[in-house]
Amino acid sequence: MLQIIKNEWRFLIRSRIFLGISIAFISILLVSVFLGNYQTRKQEQTHKSAKDHVRQQWVSIDEMNPHSAAHYGTYVFKPTNLLNSLDEGVNSVTGNVLRVEGHVQNEIVHSEASQMQAISRFGKLKPSLLLQYIVPLLLIFLAFNSVSDEKQSGRLKLLVLQGAKPLQIILSKILSVWLYGMMLLTFVLSVYSILNFQSLTTDILTRTGLFFLSYTLYYFIISAITVYFSARWQNATLALTSMLGIWIIWTIFLPNILMSSAEKWHPLPSRNQFQSAMKEDRSKGLDGHNPKDKRAIALKEKVLKEYGVDSLSQLPINFDGMRMQADEEYGNSVWDKHFGNNRKILRKQKQSFQLGGIVNPFISLQNSSMGFMASDNLHHQEFLLQVENYRRFFIKTLNDKQTFGGSKTGNWRWKEDNAFFKSIPDFNYKPTQVSVILSNYLLDLALLILWSIIVIVIIYFGTKKIQIV
Amino acid sequence: MRSLSIFIYEWKHFVSSPFKIIALLLFLIASIYGLHNGADLYMQQSNEIERLNQKAKEEKETILSYFDKSEKGPKNRPWVDVTTPFWSIWYTPTYHFKKPSPTIVYNIGQAEQYGFYKKIGMYSSPYDADMAKEIANPERIQSGTLDFSFVVLFLMPLLLLVLLYNIKGSEAEQGFLPLIFVQTGSKNWWILSRTVFYTILLLFSLLGLMLYGATLTKVFEVDNAFWTIFLHLTIYLVFWVVLYFLILKYGKNIISNTLQMIGIWLLFAFIIPAVVHQWISIEKPTNLMIDLIDIKRDKTDEIYEQSNTDTDNQIFNLYPSLKQTKTAQDTIAIKEARNDSRIALINVAMKNAISKLEEDNLTKNELISKTYWLNPLTYFQNKLNHSSKTHYDDYQTYRNDIQNLVDKRIKIMVSDIWNNVKVDKTKYLEYNKTLNK
Repeated sequence: MLQIIKNEWRFLIRSRIFLGISIAFISILLVSVFLGNYQTRKQEQTHKSAKDHVRQQWVSIDEMNPHSAAHYGTYVFKPTNLLNSLDEGVNSVTGNVLRVEGHVQNEIVHSEASQMQAISRFGKLKPSLLLQYIVPLLLIFLAFNSVSDEKQSGRLKLLVLQGAKPLQIILSKILSVWLYGMMLLTFVLSVYSILNFQSLTTDILTRTGLFFLSYTLYYFIISAITVYFSARWQNATLALTSMLGIWIIWTIFLPNILMSSAEKWHPLPSRNQFQSAMKEDRSKGLDGHNPKDKRAIALKEKVLKEYGVDSLSQLPINFDGMRMQADEEYGNSVWDKHFGNNRKILRKQKQSFQLGGIVNPFISLQNSSMGFMASDNLHHQEFLLQVENYRRFFIKTLNDKQTFGGSKTGNWRWKEDNAFFKSIPDFNYKPTQVSVILSNYLLDLALLILWSIIVIVIIYFGTKKIQIV
Repeated sequence: MRSLSIFIYEWKHFVSSPFKIIALLLFLIASIYGLHNGADLYMQQSNEIERLNQKAKEEKETILSYFDKSEKGPKNRPWVDVTTPFWSIWYTPTYHFKKPSPTIVYNIGQAEQYGFYKKIGMYSSPYDADMAKEIANPERIQSGTLDFSFVVLFLMPLLLLVLLYNIKGSEAEQGFLPLIFVQTGSKNWWILSRTVFYTILLLFSLLGLMLYGATLTKVFEVDNAFWTIFLHLTIYLVFWVVLYFLILKYGKNIISNTLQMIGIWLLFAFIIPAVVHQWISIEKPTNLMIDLIDIKRDKTDEIYEQSNTDTDNQIFNLYPSLKQTKTAQDTIAIKEARNDSRIALINVAMKNAISKLEEDNLTKNELISKTYWLNPLTYFQNKLNHSSKTHYDDYQTYRNDIQNLVDKRIKIMVSDIWNNVKVDKTKYLEYNKTLNK
């Protein structure tokens, strides 16, 4: 078997067309890794300077009322990730700027896609674009006549006469084509690792390893099916056109149709419905800015009783801050309900889409590629959650200062000094560890493995029916 | 052999090729699916607009009831007084819509990147958070909706490939190509006639599909849009036919022709747009809206903290007629008027920041347009986006309209405050009429 693989590679290397295509393609891959990396670095700089600018504004506050500072708020910018230079996932269509302020959980806005006219339906020239769409086509082109040519030239018969079993021959052909894909994949990841050597962490390496595994399985499926078609059908053209048909259905048709269907099976509310429902629920709670609000009065009575005093002026604390925080906490329960509901729907959509991997392994590849490169919707939602947790901490710190910082109820002119504002930490995004989210992608990996096993079984039993001549 | 005979021969060849028939059927099914996706979006947006109009009507009725009952405003908002221009205009419900064009049935374009309705207030700006796109799964948006234009721009070249790939190659491999040349007299004419046959077949398919799409929305109500789109699709089809014809003319066998055809499709559909996209992102990274943030925070504070003289000068500079009003001479009344008019100064500052941002976006778009000569797919995509009113420029026009409505709202409010206008039911209805124009 090893000898057949060696021979296959010898034939390939001798082919000038193959060498030409390989060199050209490796050059494009190299360019894509370099550009992807360069763009990520440049976006990182833009992100850093925006983050520093906004932080500088915050720490430069001389003096301000803490609740006014909650309205002044801050901004969080979606950070880029080193892994995104391999697969950008949803990053170009999600927003980049999120306002953090009191009383409201805002939505992330200003996506890259909204800042220009349409360019590419399949995204930027990232390695994932080439590895997902183009490399499988190259493997198809390499494999579609690998057995049929041998049949036509009579070499297949000769190999069998020399003692090679048809199954061995076919597996060798598959492995030699698959190894070509592996070589390209290894090349991309090696260049990426060299370029980012100093930034590599265990998490990045694990993610890259899993990324490698997903592509390895997908390339095996593509190589094996193509070689099998080449062996089963007399005509190389038929093998090529069938595989092109499969490639089109798997990569262009089905992902689009299944994703649209998943969105129809589990519909999200419209923005207006979403906002109206939140407004409705919010109106049932306490209004922090309205002292005459019934719930605010009830809270006042409760606090006065707790402190054993008759009026707000006798309180040792500032009740305004406490009312604002009560408003905030009620608001949080409303945001949790409605944003949480959206997250649940998105999760259901994702799960339904993942099941599409049963009929289309490309879906499993796409999901796992984005997921392991931390650029899918799951990671995006994780980022939004971290920002919302920060917002709650940020506003509570300000409201607590208003309450317990030494001012009296009604004294809105009371201000905190610069040291306090400097003491509030900035938002610090903690990248999600792969161990935490791995379970979400096990289905994708399992389906890719299942596809590989099914293909092997089909080849094992199907090879017996193959005519040698 | 005349063209008609070649056409008849080709028809027989086509109907006896199940592979080609299945490919055409798949294309038709995908197109119909895409047309329905476009029509669904049209219906969704139209229904949402209808709902919001109803909501605005209800809001207006609520405010009118305050006038009827001689109330100042909502009971839980005691500081509101709808008889003053400030609160009356504050409570004048004004929605501005980007109404979907019926031609969206053919092409969704960038419709899913932007919001299509906006509630206009005095502090509104075309870059507010509520201008964000509809809530949707980003993974779906990233992979794009399978609309009719996607099927035509990306799958039609592949269908054409399936229909044409074995022209000449098949005859050459079977060894009767010289015989055909003798019969037809001209190699080019024979290949061209066969290619034209499939071009006509596809043109009729496209026309049929577009007519079917026209039954889903009122496409013919939009002047010439149907025929403009059909013209763009025809030119796009001819572009691919010419490329494939050249490959067939100079190609030697089926496999080599197929590989060249798929190679050129990959180049135009994937590689070139992706390279351009990457280049633009490097050249002009995503704008994080720092200028707008600065206006919303520091500049606003600056406007509120500046001296009264500076504020008055800036307000009079903006609206010179205010200087002649009685309020301008009244040292007590001017205080409230000045305070309420600061919104106008913030609006001016916001517009300055927005113009910088839009210049930046314009530069990006100009860079993209400069690549059209080597990036035909992006060119045709944007042409179709223009035809279906879903291009970036259409949303820019929508944003400009929003800004104009904000300007108008502020101008009326400031003018009526300084002229000490008392608002009654008639005046409130007038506000509704003027601000919703």
